[in-house]
Amino acid sequence: GFYFRRLNSNGPNMSRRKEAIPAEESDQLTIKPLGAGQEVGRSCILLEFKGKKILLDMGIHPGLTGMDALPYIDTIEASEIDLLLISHFHLDHSGALPWFFAKTSFKGRCFMTHATKAVYRWLLSDYIKVSNISTEQNLYTEADLEASMLKIETLDFHEEKDVGGIRFRAYHAGHVLGAAMFMIEIAGVKILYTGDFSRQEDRHLCAAEIPAVRPDVLITESTYGTQIHEKREDRESRFTGMVHDIVTKGGRCLIPVFALGRAQELLLILDEYWGQHSELHDIPIYYASSLAKKCMSVYQTYVNAMNSRIQKQIAISNPFVFKHVSNLKGIDHFDDVGPCVIMASPGMMQSGLSRELFESWCTDPKNGVIIAGYCVEGTLAKHIQSEPDEIATMSGQRLPLKMRVANISFSAHTDYQQTSEFIRALQPRHVILVHGEANEMSRLKAALIREYETMPEVEITVYNPRNTTSVELTFRGEKAAKVMGSLAVHKPVEGEVLSGVLVKRNFNYHLLAPSDLATYTDIQVSQITQKLAVHYSGSVSTLHFLLLQLAGHVEKMDEVKSSFRVFDVIDLTVDKNMITVEWKGSPVNDMFADAVLVTILRAETLNEPSVKIDDYGAKFEWDKFKDSLVEMLRDMFGEAAVPKSVTKDDFYVTVDDKKAIIDFYNLKVTCEEDLTLQKILQTAVSRLYNSLAPISAIQM
Amino acid sequence: MCCFDESPHCYLLEIDDFTILLDCGWDELFSVNLVDSLKQNINKIDAVLISYPDLLHLGALPYAVGKLGLNCPIYGTVPVHKMGQMFMYDWYLSRYDSEEFAIFDLDDVDKVFDRMTVLKYNQTIALKGKGYGITITPVPAGHMIGGTIWKIVKDGEEDIVYAVDYNHKKERHLGCCELEKVTRPSLLITDAYNMLYQQPRRSARDESLVVSILATLRSQGNVLLAVDTAGRVLEISNLLDNIWHNKEAGLFAYNIVLMSKVAHNVNEFAKSSIEWMSDRMVKSVDDARNNPFQFRSVKLCHSFEDLKKIPSPKVVLASMPDLECGFARDLFVMWCGQPNNSVIFTQRTSPGTLARYLVDNLGRVLSLQLDVRSRAPLAGKELDEYLQTKKQKASETMEYEESSEDEDEISGPVGHDIMVMEEPRRQGKKPHFPVFPFHEEKVKVDEYGEVVKHEDFLIVDGVEEAEKDISDAQEEPEEDMEIEEIPTKCMSQSKILKLNCNILYIDFEGRSDGPSIERLVFQVKPRRLIIVRGSQEACEKLSAGCQAENIWMPQKGDHINATIERHIYQLLLKDSILKDLMFKKCRESEVAWVTGQVVYDTGSTDIEKSDVAEAKKNQPHLDLVDYNLIPSHKTAFLNDIKLSDFKQILGKNGIPSEFIGGTLRCCGGNISLQRLETGKVSIEGTLSEDYFKVRDLLYEQYAII
Repeated sequence: GFYFRRLNSNGPNMSRRKEAIPAEESDQLTIKPLGAGQEVGRSCILLEFKGKKILLDMGIHPGLTGMDALPYIDTIEASEIDLLLISHFHLDHSGALPWFFAKTSFKGRCFMTHATKAVYRWLLSDYIKVSNISTEQNLYTEADLEASMLKIETLDFHEEKDVGGIRFRAYHAGHVLGAAMFMIEIAGVKILYTGDFSRQEDRHLCAAEIPAVRPDVLITESTYGTQIHEKREDRESRFTGMVHDIVTKGGRCLIPVFALGRAQELLLILDEYWGQHSELHDIPIYYASSLAKKCMSVYQTYVNAMNSRIQKQIAISNPFVFKHVSNLKGIDHFDDVGPCVIMASPGMMQSGLSRELFESWCTDPKNGVIIAGYCVEGTLAKHIQSEPDEIATMSGQRLPLKMRVANISFSAHTDYQQTSEFIRALQPRHVILVHGEANEMSRLKAALIREYETMPEVEITVYNPRNTTSVELTFRGEKAAKVMGSLAVHKPVEGEVLSGVLVKRNFNYHLLAPSDLATYTDIQVSQITQKLAVHYSGSVSTLHFLLLQLAGHVEKMDEVKSSFRVFDVIDLTVDKNMITVEWKGSPVNDMFADAVLVTILRAETLNEPSVKIDDYGAKFEWDKFKDSLVEMLRDMFGEAAVPKSVTKDDFYVTVDDKKAIIDFYNLKVTCEEDLTLQKILQTAVSRLYNSLAPISAIQM
Repeated sequence: MCCFDESPHCYLLEIDDFTILLDCGWDELFSVNLVDSLKQNINKIDAVLISYPDLLHLGALPYAVGKLGLNCPIYGTVPVHKMGQMFMYDWYLSRYDSEEFAIFDLDDVDKVFDRMTVLKYNQTIALKGKGYGITITPVPAGHMIGGTIWKIVKDGEEDIVYAVDYNHKKERHLGCCELEKVTRPSLLITDAYNMLYQQPRRSARDESLVVSILATLRSQGNVLLAVDTAGRVLEISNLLDNIWHNKEAGLFAYNIVLMSKVAHNVNEFAKSSIEWMSDRMVKSVDDARNNPFQFRSVKLCHSFEDLKKIPSPKVVLASMPDLECGFARDLFVMWCGQPNNSVIFTQRTSPGTLARYLVDNLGRVLSLQLDVRSRAPLAGKELDEYLQTKKQKASETMEYEESSEDEDEISGPVGHDIMVMEEPRRQGKKPHFPVFPFHEEKVKVDEYGEVVKHEDFLIVDGVEEAEKDISDAQEEPEEDMEIEEIPTKCMSQSKILKLNCNILYIDFEGRSDGPSIERLVFQVKPRRLIIVRGSQEACEKLSAGCQAENIWMPQKGDHINATIERHIYQLLLKDSILKDLMFKKCRESEVAWVTGQVVYDTGSTDIEKSDVAEAKKNQPHLDLVDYNLIPSHKTAFLNDIKLSDFKQILGKNGIPSEFIGGTLRCCGGNISLQRLETGKVSIEGTLSEDYFKVRDLLYEQYAII
């Protein structure tokens, strides 16, 4: 039917066609670092694909304060973000999260692993306390942090989640407890974000996994660029050897560490080493961090996020219940009488306990300090690595540096060897580098490109975007629909016309007949029956006459009760001064009903008709139609197109010397010379017919 | 598949030619007939899915793997793996304590759990080989830690959901099942066990527990709570530990003990499995850094020696819940005579077990004839005889070994898992002393080391007598079951016990009850339904309340063919057709009417690699069709509304309405709406502007295409 299409599909579609392609249909994937683009710190990467917006991490820059430390959130609309994933608890990955929840219009969902959430709570609480002292400008309060805890959802490693069509799962990333890599899949395109990762298994963490599925895009950290780490066995024996040496010679050993992460690994190493060396049992090991103490319960609880070694050990005794390590509340509780090992924060000795201990011990050559983590330029930890003769104390005094200084890196970040192997195993088409100083990053990019230069068969592109610069990639997604149920009873034949309901859910398409909807989906096909009562005081015959005029045919349902059916779908029942009109709701039927209602209202105002009632309305006047058609065609193609002498049996049109014959009674146009013309004419003829012929004559 | 009774869960599911065993349970009495059909089908099984860690769901696995040679992947969640092993250890050790137990041994248990592939919730695994195209996903089920509803999907479309014993209610330590998230599976396999049962409220239940415990303790009596090894016990122990801590409850002064062979390990595993528990437990760790399974009041005991040190009156949570074996049975025998003691059952075990008999006949059993079984060390004459035999054998072995040192296996006993007065089988090529063979065992490191130190449990009462014989072995804890150093024997004595104590049953099963099962199954709307495990009446009740196309209630051994003709093919949608579609939102999906023409050759639009293009050529595409060829179609109203929801929508648009006898009336009663049956709504009214306004609002609730 003609009306139907007018009502439902044509109108809106016309206007839609002119619009630009909506975001959800676009094939363009945008990746934009809002932080950690050619820098280390404030990780925050925006992904945009098919109208979905995802943020990866929400960190702060440890070197900056206040609003300056935030990623470039002001360049995006926070309310449009569907999903926020946090890779691990470090401040440069999660530090801005309470602010983002409290101070922006973000209303999407946020996920992290259980262990990350547990540590995040205490780590940020500690951060708030510390920054309270040092700056006036606070991004958020303890209350904001508490509020964020309610909004953060957790996921387990390997668990698959789906948020409005964005499917994602977390893989073990090594690095720190709870650290995750996220594999995100939108409409079949897979993106792997590594966060910070390490492919080297250590004492309590497993190595970063290599996901079984191949990502199209890999977003990877590049902290260590092209450097290569020392072997684990070597560095561990160097570490324990040095500690052993210092304490047996009667010295004190200081290990400045960041409270969480590597510190736990070092404690495990020391506790185990002490266990194996009974001669050391008299020498105490202290760790002096209230934060680490607070988070010990987290480490004791979430052993499932650790490696299999720890998980096996837990059945016998919890390795995080240390036998030789004791906690130190503060320097006041410390009785400095003889050899000992102390792990104290902060890791770069900017201030605090580690600095105090360093200043009081640095003049004795028996003592030693071991720098175990990543150090930033300008900090004391970095400075003493150049072995200066003197150092400046916090109070400005100068002290000779006589204690032993060693640098043994336990940093759990990937190195070039690991990154390269990782990329080789995953074979992504696009590699996007983040989380690395500009120089390290470009060195890594160059090295990776060089590595694949000799392999032209491998398509790989490496990007190192700056902050707020986007990488735009195009993925031509093939859209496949599953045809099911009665539509799929036989295999499709070339040229066959298929018609049904296309159901789109989470980027999946299903083509179904309406009757199968309830079987295969949760969508129900409904029916709305309508019943309208209208006051009518006129005569039944007047109404009948008018209805005939309107519809061409009126079916009498019941002679006594005077009920009629018109258009095959509208039922009228005349009862006293009331007519009830009943029909099944649909756009077409509603229109018929409207016409019937108008007719009823009109009949009420009319007198008895003088015309005899017969099938008057049903006749179609072909002559009238001919005249109209001639007029229309002349309008379309000019006066000359239609000869004056045409008859119904011999009707033709000439346009640009091409002759088209119109078979009048069958409404068929033939023009062998020009198929386009034939099509135009055909449409014109059938449309005119449809609009002039009575409804009963048109086949629905 | 079985139904109409209470036999354990164990079903075969065949998807095309791939056979999955859904659970592998055994009853507490090792009924032979239950494993008979398993035996017949053992070679057919390609994979095993386990839902819960208890006997009912995996009890027959050690036997199947160890003795029947079941040799296929077994899937279960992390806690099901850990706790399942604890269940089996406890079961074996408890049995071994009192009888010659040879149905399976600890090696068989280890074999099972070495073989198990552990999964996280919502982790989808694609099966390989013969099972290609099948994916399995565990979904939270509540009831026990790690409890699983299995979603099995074939080719991305045919989804089968296996959900038994789930709990839709949140509990202290567990979240609720996520069965509601499953919509319209093509097949649901579920049980009707609790269909006719309605649970008391949780607070009422907890209160009755506390009241009876308190009453008993105040009258200087002891309380025995018969609990399972590592499942429901977590809920009860956590509850009681909290109540104990609460000063107002007045229980602080009394002792509470958790007693089983593996109590320590279960507790350790619970402490490190917090992420599998309820939000409340996780919050307790995250916010208060307080591990809820770091018990403040509950003490752990592994033997009667330990228990003796704890002064009475006390509450003891002991396994096994069926009272067929274990500490619970021993305590029952000890305590049932005194009228001031109480025995509380927390779950229903299989019919035929002692616990079930008592629960079913609460207050009617006054005395009981019971086999009191125990394992005792040899003494006096028997010990002498044993030593004599041993000496003899030792010298024989020595002689034997001189000739052929390597084949000492032969001298060992045949049924090596029966540990009676037999000679240790494994003797190294060590020098021998003239009287007793001395052999230095290697200390074997087992991943679950402590559990298998049977010596700790087995010899507590008889250390002194046995000491002279086994002093060597004692110094080096030997964990291998095959080597049994202590001469012991099993004794059985029939006794008549007078039941003077209080016997109560308080439901801590943590399963959904009848009304909830009915509601859930209705909500899930399975297309086809298989009902297992439950009385005939229960199954029929469930079946009556469900509107599935097919419902089966199989008897044991029945074979159901639940296949349906599956029509499905894939069609690629051309951009030309997609760009003109106007999608309308309908529930979670978007819908549009589409008409197109099937085209096979895609032409040269693909510049991709040749093999890919080749594969695509055979795929049908849907392309635009000539305007005039588009057939008309009947308008479809998609969605299904509830009048109560529509009432609110009317309200939001300033049209007040009210329900009168199921009809929604508005605009002064001029317009009324009625929901006739699913998907049918009628609107009636007088000709007025309001009518069209209401109708427009009604239409807005649908996607009309």
